[in-house]
Amino acid sequence: MESPTISRFSLVTCVLLLSSSVAFAQTSTDSESTYSRAGADSCIACHEDAATMSIFKTPHAVPTDARSPFGSGQLQCEACHGPGGEHAGRVRRGQERPPVIRFGSGTATTIVEQNGVCLDCHSGDAGFAWHGSGHDDNEVACADCHQVHIAHDPVLQTANQPDVCFDCHQQQRSQALKPYSHPFSEGKMDCSGCHSPHGETTDRLFVRQTLNDTCFECHAEKRGPYLWEHAPVAEDCSTCHDPHGSNHPGMVSLRGPMLCQTCHSQADHQSFANGPDGLADGTASKYLLGRNCMNCHTQVHGSNHPSGSKLMR
Amino acid sequence: MRKIRQIMKIPAMAFPGIAVAALCVFSTAPAMAQADTSNWKCEYCPFPSGYDAEVDVGASYVSDDAARFGNASGYDEAGGYLNLGGEGHYANDGYQLNWFAEDLGLDSRVFEVDGGRQGKFGFHLGYSELPYRLFDSTSTVFTAASSETLVLPTNWVPASLTSGFTELATSLQPRNIESDRQTLTAGANLQASSDFSLFADYRHQERDGIDIVSGANFIQGSYLPRVLDFETDLVDLGVAYSNGSLNLSLAWFGSFFKNNVNSLTWDNPFTSFPGAEQGRLAQEPDNEFQQLTLSGAYVADTLKSVIAFSAGLGQGKQTEQLLPYTINPTITAGNPPLSNLDGKVDTTNYALTVTSRPFSKARVKLAYRYDERDNQTAQSSWSRVIVDSFASGENELNTPYSFERERLSVSGAYRLFDSVRVSAGYDRTDLQRDFQEVAEQTEDSGWGQVRWKATQWLDIKAKGGTSRREIDRYDTDLAASFGQNPLLRKYNLAYRYREFGELTMSVTPAELPFSVGLSALFADDSYSKSDLGLTDSENLHFSLDLGYTLSETASIYLVGGVENIDAAQLGSATFSIPTWQAEHEDKFNHYGAGLQLRQLGEKTDLSIDYLFTDGSTSINMRENGVDNLFPDLESELESLRVRVNYRKSDRLDVDLSLRYESFQTKDWAIEGVEPDTIRTVLTFGADPYDYSVWVFGVSFRYLIGER
Repeated sequence: MESPTISRFSLVTCVLLLSSSVAFAQTSTDSESTYSRAGADSCIACHEDAATMSIFKTPHAVPTDARSPFGSGQLQCEACHGPGGEHAGRVRRGQERPPVIRFGSGTATTIVEQNGVCLDCHSGDAGFAWHGSGHDDNEVACADCHQVHIAHDPVLQTANQPDVCFDCHQQQRSQALKPYSHPFSEGKMDCSGCHSPHGETTDRLFVRQTLNDTCFECHAEKRGPYLWEHAPVAEDCSTCHDPHGSNHPGMVSLRGPMLCQTCHSQADHQSFANGPDGLADGTASKYLLGRNCMNCHTQVHGSNHPSGSKLMR
Repeated sequence: MRKIRQIMKIPAMAFPGIAVAALCVFSTAPAMAQADTSNWKCEYCPFPSGYDAEVDVGASYVSDDAARFGNASGYDEAGGYLNLGGEGHYANDGYQLNWFAEDLGLDSRVFEVDGGRQGKFGFHLGYSELPYRLFDSTSTVFTAASSETLVLPTNWVPASLTSGFTELATSLQPRNIESDRQTLTAGANLQASSDFSLFADYRHQERDGIDIVSGANFIQGSYLPRVLDFETDLVDLGVAYSNGSLNLSLAWFGSFFKNNVNSLTWDNPFTSFPGAEQGRLAQEPDNEFQQLTLSGAYVADTLKSVIAFSAGLGQGKQTEQLLPYTINPTITAGNPPLSNLDGKVDTTNYALTVTSRPFSKARVKLAYRYDERDNQTAQSSWSRVIVDSFASGENELNTPYSFERERLSVSGAYRLFDSVRVSAGYDRTDLQRDFQEVAEQTEDSGWGQVRWKATQWLDIKAKGGTSRREIDRYDTDLAASFGQNPLLRKYNLAYRYREFGELTMSVTPAELPFSVGLSALFADDSYSKSDLGLTDSENLHFSLDLGYTLSETASIYLVGGVENIDAAQLGSATFSIPTWQAEHEDKFNHYGAGLQLRQLGEKTDLSIDYLFTDGSTSINMRENGVDNLFPDLESELESLRVRVNYRKSDRLDVDLSLRYESFQTKDWAIEGVEPDTIRTVLTFGADPYDYSVWVFGVSFRYLIGER
């Protein structure tokens, strides 16, 4: 019974959007007359510093790739920096040299224009949903994260990427430094292991469809389904864990057994007020010390034992 | 059910239809302007050709053993380490081959190779290891007779309490809690035509080592050093279409997990019920998951809009052979109703986002997302044997949890002035579950934001909002069937009112040598309708970054941050109204500074990085009006890294490195907890972290080819 619905809906949408596209049709303008005479050779005549010339060590400067700015027939430096004929031409004494497109948040070129240049070529491989993503919403320039003129863009290196992200995501930097966190500080994990920075249609920019699906990339043993599931585990790992870092072992959000007691209130040990009298120099409570609740309920992520309903087997 | 779709009058299955419909409209790419490049020779363009490489050979000395220091780094033991690394590049006529190696002498080694012909095809291969080092202060009485069996010493004398373990002291053997993850990757991509490309990625992960689990006896428990032996194969295959405006991707993902240890049987060190001299745990079962995803986007220039969508269908399976109810031969428990669970979970994920700029100063966004986990596993009746000791005498049904989650977001932004942009949004999230106390909940969230770019170098953003999570009802009858106090409200299922705000400022003057970043965030959650459980949670965060460029070759930075997370919960020791309250205060501060000097004497670079972090958690267990303060949980880390790079010649660099790290914790959960401290739990006796480690390193980097 769904198919007719899809067909009708698609048809109506088609008609509406087609009407709109006709109404909004425009013609693009052409500005080729302002390109330089000699392409990159014009630019290199002045910009021959090592930092600029490093572009030739990058994927943007591969002549055999027709898609590359330095591919056959492509616009070389002006593919990104825009027509530079006037910029490279003569200027009168005291006259300011006409600008080209420059990249970065502190430049005169608008971020929309900058990013438009990048997306002209990278609309496919930069992610399906850059437009409307959190970074796009906040007018982050591609060049705020990427350095295209050096051989190894830091944001593409696992060891360096978190520092780039943490420039803006300062709370995550703080969390990553907490005593229990993923191995960001050792340069063995990057943010893009879990998040797609260009925006995705997935939940919260995850590299997989949901948070749990993303966690299972490395923690597949917790995927299940288990015979005896622990409800919050099946739904959302972050119900108990702070994945960016925590003061507590296992990156849990509260210290046990209190964390467990936010959801378990049965009329027995689950409801005890475990105070400091239960520490090692006191009564040494099994409900408080060591792994607290997990001293017995060890299968907190689920049990596949026929007698494991209490997550003890 | 499915409130958002009801409001919009759109069936869930219509969303792929919307996407298909949208795509059928837009089929032409905008024309590209062309310049006359016939005289563009690029004579001065130094395109790389040939082979160049840097090879690092080095040695390090580590001053002390420290498991946690070796976590991820591989430097967990004192002594000398030889190391090898580097990278190499070959390029010729568009063909490329690159290799990269890091820490080959350590347990954190990485080796990667990639190559191909850009724009035609590419491939990559990789191997990496990641050490996970938890404790090196632990000891156990158990010995692994096999990966599935732990045995006690032959002279072990069981007792009902740990204080009665007469052979404990002579039986304890050191056992580090540590494991390693090895990952093998391989992948390729092929640009089949200007529009179509194919991609394939494969990852094989293995994790092996020793982990902690607990084996419960009647009222006792034992820490068990279980053997980890996990293998996971992950595969991504897909085809992508891209013509500039239209991008589509059809991808298949497969995850195949295999646990080579199916169960863990251990000798019970405690006096046991008849026949319960051993216990057995199930281990994580093998599982597999496959998912097919179609996603895409269309940039509709004429509509000034972008449409992005994703539709994924997945299925997970778990068919591990089930263990018997018990290994206690004195209990007649019968057979479980199933020989394997035949577990099956279907997942459905849809998303559609439309972003439009109706005119230059405005932008609007509409986003819808649907996620479903439909656990199709059949319910059966199970007769539990309690910790291999006695039959429960009751039958229980397994609860295959499912949920559906829908989120609708509408937001808009408008540029009031060239320097001021205001935006606002509204989100609604509906969630339906089964087998839980709350079947339906809705969260409405509204926010507003002002961004003021006063100049090119001053950027200030303020954002604030509220959200309210409502539930249809809290099913206290269902909660009672679990034995829960009827006043409890689980915090992920409870009514919640949240206020949140954020203020950020960025100062990056291009003409001045400094930059400043400031960030302040808060979130205040109130569970005001919860009589028991979590009632309040508040998160405050401040951070400041300063950078200063002293000269063309010198720069310094300072970073700092403060985060406080406070939470309060209510509990009842009398299964009635609250009798205790726990107040949690998590604090975490970090301060860092660094200096970079380049081209000292033209041949030397120096970098110094210092970091200090200070974490603490205060818990007050107030019972019947009396405060009971726990000792603070504390952590303090101090880290210093100094690196000197000296360019000995055009071909040879010498690196000298110094690293210092000290880390101390105070953790009452393990402090003073020897293996027999808890009367009914035989632990590993781990110590809180307390180490200071120096690492001295020297390495030589030799350049092959052109610098």
